[in-house]
Amino acid sequence: MNGQKSAEERMQARAPEMELIREAQAGSRTAFDALVRQYEQQVLRLALHLTGSEHDAEDIYQEAFLKAFRYIGNFRFECSFYTWIYRIVTNLCLDQLRRRKTRREDRAVILDRSGDEIDLLASVPDGRSFSNPAKELDRKVLGERIQEALTKLTPRERMVFELKHYQGLRLRTIGEMLNTTEETAKNTLFRATKKLRTQLAGLR
Amino acid sequence: MNCEVAHERIVAAAYGELPDEQAHELERHLMGCPECQEDREQLLALKVLANAHPVLEPDANLVARSRLRLEEALDALPPKRWYERLSQRMTNNFASMQAAPVAACLLLVVGAGAGSLGGYRIAQSRAARTAQTIQTAQAAATQQQAEAGPAEVANISSIVRQPNSQMVEVRYNQVVPQRIQGSLNDPAIRQLLMLASENSTSAGVRDDSVGLLAAECRAGHACKAAGIRDALMVALRYDKNEGVREKALKGLEPYVGEDVRVRDAVLEALLNDGDARIRTAAINILEPVEADTSVRQVLHSVANTDQNPHIRNVSRQVLSRVPEIQ
Repeated sequence: MNGQKSAEERMQARAPEMELIREAQAGSRTAFDALVRQYEQQVLRLALHLTGSEHDAEDIYQEAFLKAFRYIGNFRFECSFYTWIYRIVTNLCLDQLRRRKTRREDRAVILDRSGDEIDLLASVPDGRSFSNPAKELDRKVLGERIQEALTKLTPRERMVFELKHYQGLRLRTIGEMLNTTEETAKNTLFRATKKLRTQLAGLR
Repeated sequence: MNCEVAHERIVAAAYGELPDEQAHELERHLMGCPECQEDREQLLALKVLANAHPVLEPDANLVARSRLRLEEALDALPPKRWYERLSQRMTNNFASMQAAPVAACLLLVVGAGAGSLGGYRIAQSRAARTAQTIQTAQAAATQQQAEAGPAEVANISSIVRQPNSQMVEVRYNQVVPQRIQGSLNDPAIRQLLMLASENSTSAGVRDDSVGLLAAECRAGHACKAAGIRDALMVALRYDKNEGVREKALKGLEPYVGEDVRVRDAVLEALLNDGDARIRTAAINILEPVEADTSVRQVLHSVANTDQNPHIRNVSRQVLSRVPEIQ
């Protein structure tokens, strides 16, 4: 019963999007804009969480949709448009992560909302909070420690962990988006969690 | 199961990616292995800790800024050059493109004062392939020579610029206009009609061709193997003209019971077609399969959500007429 209902929903959902895509392929800017509106929230959410910076997220948004506009003629309906768009975005994110890796020195830096760097050493709790262990696990500090641990992952490990843990996608979909197999994605996830646990071991 | 494998499966399980039989095996292993239990504890702790860095919704300003910037960039894109547009159309139609193998090679001189390319009229590329089929099915048909007019360019297959020069080599394929007469039984004629149903820019031509094809299907002449049924389904789904869609629907009527794809196409029309007459016709056509569960699902949905009160009524009547099948 459930399967048939979702078949109906799929029929309903698929037909208008397919129409939009065909029209966009034929050159309709309105249709393309409608597609952008459907996916822009997810694209920004992912880019924002991954890069931690509104400025970088905006850049990724821009590049992703411009690429989509340029190459929409190549879309052949063999995968879903969702996967196609996400593939573009994840590749751009991977490029970003790689660029950051080569630029960054050993000292991990985090960018806050206004783009200023936070020196993690400065966020080590002062003498007073050492006497109150509960304060050390202050959410803000914890958040920063997680972000720092995430930067120690390779770009692919970071990407897979982001897509699986934070965005909740299935490993099979993640494999498609990264042009690899589900098995490889699974192994990458395993390596990522192992590394993260090592990084965060001191926080128990 | 050894502990190394268990560690990997613990991760998969924690993210809902472990198949059930393996999950069962894992539980059995964990029952007798405190070390792996500890491993799972740590992983679950990691998942909790990771959420101290939560995913935030992008705020409205960020979305608006990004969209504005994108729109400006798209507006600023230069309009496509004629050969870029052709190349794009070629890429889009690649699956259906098999132009006649009459290829010519042309050297163009591209200079500041651009040469005289003249006016190219781009004809439908598939027509070129059909031209070949026609030639093989000549027996029943009378064929006349090409009508007046120069051969038309079907598509451009490559453009190569000689390095460091103004010379450009363009390969293109040509299409020769033809005319054919024959009976509806002739496969060549049928193939042309199917082409016309999808490809013609004139609604009148599409209407005529779909009308003829639909008549063939209603009369029970071999309509599935030759792809006529598919052509009608495509017309029903995508044609912009309601008259054409209505004819397609009529042609598919005899097959709604025996062919699941036809049934689904009619259901889609009932849900999505903008024209109320067509949606009503779809309901009537579904009579032989009214008791079908997926049909009833759609009728339920239509009875509640269709904009047209008459259609909502009719759907409800149909639903009450046919008892539920368990």
